[in-house]
Amino acid sequence: METEGTLALAKAARTADQRALIERARRGDASAHRALYDTHVDRIYRLTFRLTGSEHLARDVTQDTFVRAFAGLEGFREDASIGTWLHSIAVSLALNAIKKDKRERDRNTSLDDAKSIATPAPRSDPLLRDRLLQAVNELPEGCRTVFMMHDAEGYTHDEIATALGIAEGTSKAQLARARQKLRVSLAQFAGEWK
Amino acid sequence: MNDNLKDLFDDDEREPVTNDAGFDAWIANVAPTLNAPGATPRHEMWREIQAARATAAEAQAGTVAGVTPIRRAPWRLLSVVAAALLLGVAIDRWALNGRTDPASVVSAPIVDSAFNDPARLYRLAASQTLTQAEALLTAFRASGPEERAAVGGDQLARWGGEVLGSTRLLIDSPAGSDPRLRALLEDLELVLVQLIQLSRGSVDPNDREHVNRALEGSNLLPRIRTAVPAGTPFSASTD
Repeated sequence: METEGTLALAKAARTADQRALIERARRGDASAHRALYDTHVDRIYRLTFRLTGSEHLARDVTQDTFVRAFAGLEGFREDASIGTWLHSIAVSLALNAIKKDKRERDRNTSLDDAKSIATPAPRSDPLLRDRLLQAVNELPEGCRTVFMMHDAEGYTHDEIATALGIAEGTSKAQLARARQKLRVSLAQFAGEWK
Repeated sequence: MNDNLKDLFDDDEREPVTNDAGFDAWIANVAPTLNAPGATPRHEMWREIQAARATAAEAQAGTVAGVTPIRRAPWRLLSVVAAALLLGVAIDRWALNGRTDPASVVSAPIVDSAFNDPARLYRLAASQTLTQAEALLTAFRASGPEERAAVGGDQLARWGGEVLGSTRLLIDSPAGSDPRLRALLEDLELVLVQLIQLSRGSVDPNDREHVNRALEGSNLLPRIRTAVPAGTPFSASTD
């Protein structure tokens, strides 16, 4: 009981600290902006890197996330944590960046390139990983986002649901669908896991 | 924001039957190696963020060439709304009824030639959407108590929904190649989502104030006015 009480007090103190930090940031305090950035940047960058698969895009998206968040702090409602809010912005921007990048690559990909991409890969570990990455990139956006957040980056379904504004059950269902689609896509490598 | 992400997911929470614990264990082991990030470039990104914020602050202060400070005169707002509505009706009529009376639509010759050029058509569509957005956001931001009574929260949410739909189509359009316009549309999308969320049901004065401050923070209205300068076919600029 004493431990629970201590934990509750610590949580309340953290919440109060966060509110004070946000209030300072709203008033334009540069050190508060930096503190918010330092607290959240690693997770945001890791997630955007996982989703985009590109250092360049991950940097752009992460920077844009904080620029927009600082500009929009007045609109942030404190019924959610600021980390959740930042994740929500970051995922939205990352998905837009992926769409835009894909469109540009599609424009620049010749038919020959497309044929070489479609050639089945022989069975070996690095090539299996390439095929897996390709299969992951072909997943529907919702499945792919949940799969990367859960299986690659270790978010819980509760965290995913909060960040994406969906039900926890939806997150679980999307993950199960992602895994099922991947299993079908990688059927020729079934010996690797059986 | 969450509404935007929710679009990616259906509400079906049923999990498909997998029955392959071996694959699940294998994938859980392999997945962390996919797109594994290196060290976070904290300092470089922080410098970029600072630079972007400084530019935005200069634009807000009106020290960036071509950016017009926000105007507040109520008659200008009303004329923006009226002009946007008239132009929207004229364009819709022309598009639906064909070119039966081109003289009645000021911009008809320009629209006609635009059909031969996707990039030009995209710019015209963007101008129309941004004009609508400017009217909506300006009215929302600066309307007085009497206008608020006339334009209820539900109506604002519906209007915002229409502009948001057009904005998302423009963002997703393959014809959109201008990175500055795209960034503007994405900022607009975020603010519209916020505005719609807050406008559903009743519009609380504090919530209005939140959106107003978010608008000021993102410098959205001056950027829209810069993107749709006075004199372009669908402009309803206050200049």
